[in-house]
Amino acid sequence: MAGDETKRRVLWLASARAIVRLTWARTVTPLLLVGMAVLVLLPMVFAVVFASRGPLAGDPVVFLVERYDQLVLAIAVPILSLLLGTSAFAAESNDGTLMYLVTTTTPRWWIVLVRMLFTATVAAGLSALAVWGSGRIATGASDPMSVTQAFGLAAALGAATYAAGFTAVALLTKRALVGGLAYVLFWEGILSATFPALNFLSVRQWMLAVAASMTDATSKRLDAGPSLNAALIGSAVVTVVAVIIATRRLSRPRLSRIGN
Amino acid sequence: MSGVAETVPTGGNGTGTATANSVAARGASDIPLVFDQISHWYGDVVAVNSINAVVNAGITGLLGPNGAGKTTLLQLAAGLLSPSAGTVRVYGRSPASGPSAYADIGLVPEQEALPGNMTAEAFVLARAALLGLPDIAEATRKALATVELDNVKRRKLGGFSKGMKQRAKLAAALVHEPRLVLLDEPFNGLDPRQRVGMMRLLEARAEQGTAVLLSSHILEEIEGLASRIMVMLAGRLAATGDYRSLRRLMTDRPHTVHVRSTNDRQLAAALIANPTVVGVEVMTDGLSVRATDYAGFARAVGPAAKHLDISVFEIKPADESLEHVFAYLVEK
Repeated sequence: MAGDETKRRVLWLASARAIVRLTWARTVTPLLLVGMAVLVLLPMVFAVVFASRGPLAGDPVVFLVERYDQLVLAIAVPILSLLLGTSAFAAESNDGTLMYLVTTTTPRWWIVLVRMLFTATVAAGLSALAVWGSGRIATGASDPMSVTQAFGLAAALGAATYAAGFTAVALLTKRALVGGLAYVLFWEGILSATFPALNFLSVRQWMLAVAASMTDATSKRLDAGPSLNAALIGSAVVTVVAVIIATRRLSRPRLSRIGN
Repeated sequence: MSGVAETVPTGGNGTGTATANSVAARGASDIPLVFDQISHWYGDVVAVNSINAVVNAGITGLLGPNGAGKTTLLQLAAGLLSPSAGTVRVYGRSPASGPSAYADIGLVPEQEALPGNMTAEAFVLARAALLGLPDIAEATRKALATVELDNVKRRKLGGFSKGMKQRAKLAAALVHEPRLVLLDEPFNGLDPRQRVGMMRLLEARAEQGTAVLLSSHILEEIEGLASRIMVMLAGRLAATGDYRSLRRLMTDRPHTVHVRSTNDRQLAAALIANPTVVGVEVMTDGLSVRATDYAGFARAVGPAAKHLDISVFEIKPADESLEHVFAYLVEK
């Protein structure tokens, strides 16, 4: 029995490694790397400008809360996740190489889960890096009111949620990138920030709720979000639903160029 | 018993009762591939129409012009498409029943795309791992050696020639030694030497008891390789049976041959006397000759022209496209 358990564990790990290798091979392109680098560096550029003004720049906590909200949570995190989440499955679906993944004995849910974990981890890591880097530039090592730490964790959680959602969307439609971009700009960027009633349906607002629970800093935006519990439940629901939808979809993949 | 069920030709509705009987006579789980009244349509377009067929161990050719529905049929066999009507069985179970069905199936698609920045070895290793093989490294080594890619296994797939990519796809499909191998136009882009290599490889698999179903739109491509043939036309199974029967039907049909010479009228008078010729039409740019035996006609035309001191510029078959041949089979 112990031998069987060992064999089974190795099988899961080996297939997970294979899925990650295939994901890496299809996801990481020079264009994507440039896009991700721009999104990670953009908040840091703002922080450099802020730091260069010295005492004239104002309160670093106010600066960071505003930039984290408007630049990192509203733009960098969702677009990073969108690029990562949509690239692998979409490319494989379009050129037919998804076939090499789905004509195997590996359970679909495992393929989806590993791929989502990969994209979520990379998106979360890069988002946290954007937060940490700009915080470090603006305030040095001090992190007043734990604002960098709070937003770093919030951004990581939001990135993971977005990545799961966008990975599932990439299996549902060929226009996942365009649809995701429209969602980020209009729903997350404009509607959820304008209408408080939509707070409970916005990943950006969930990230703000997580950040608000971990920092002593206050602002109108931080205080207006949903509760921490609502944010965590919402994030968990999106992730689970994304895994289920993607698993079902992968059972009947769209292989547009498998043959003529 | 090998190959598809015996029916030549079917008149468009598959092997019908013959298939049902052959399936009933054996345990369903022993039969590599069964199409039972299978149909598939995309919106208003019927891609596969009421096909009955059994594919057994050995090499079976799936022949038909482009757009005949061959790829759709192979995708149905591989469980990548669900039938709109009917059932597909691979060793007694639906290929769409779950991932474990792929332990028995290897598919080589027509499309060329591969993960370009992976090495051949990494690609086949990934497939071996995803197929749950106990010794991934050994299975990969064996598969790459089988397709003769072991000496370039560390090279990236993006730099491979078309023939090498085809072999890499084959290695990925064979790494778990499936009992049913489906190949969609496997000879596309291969040079003659590579074709021969691929043929020998498939023959070796078939000799080991593997059922191989390969599609092609070129009859000569599978000549000498597939002992059994399924002919598809416009989504229907036009004919099935052993290669020789179909080949005989195809060669025995009346042929139309276009001939150009220095004196077409005089040559026409001479040719009509030949027993293989059933009709001659004089046209502005030559002769249109109807012959029952193409080889016999080709042998006769030279001496006839020489006897009359006529120079022949061109002898060209006018109806050798596969569509013509298949249309003839369907009519027959």
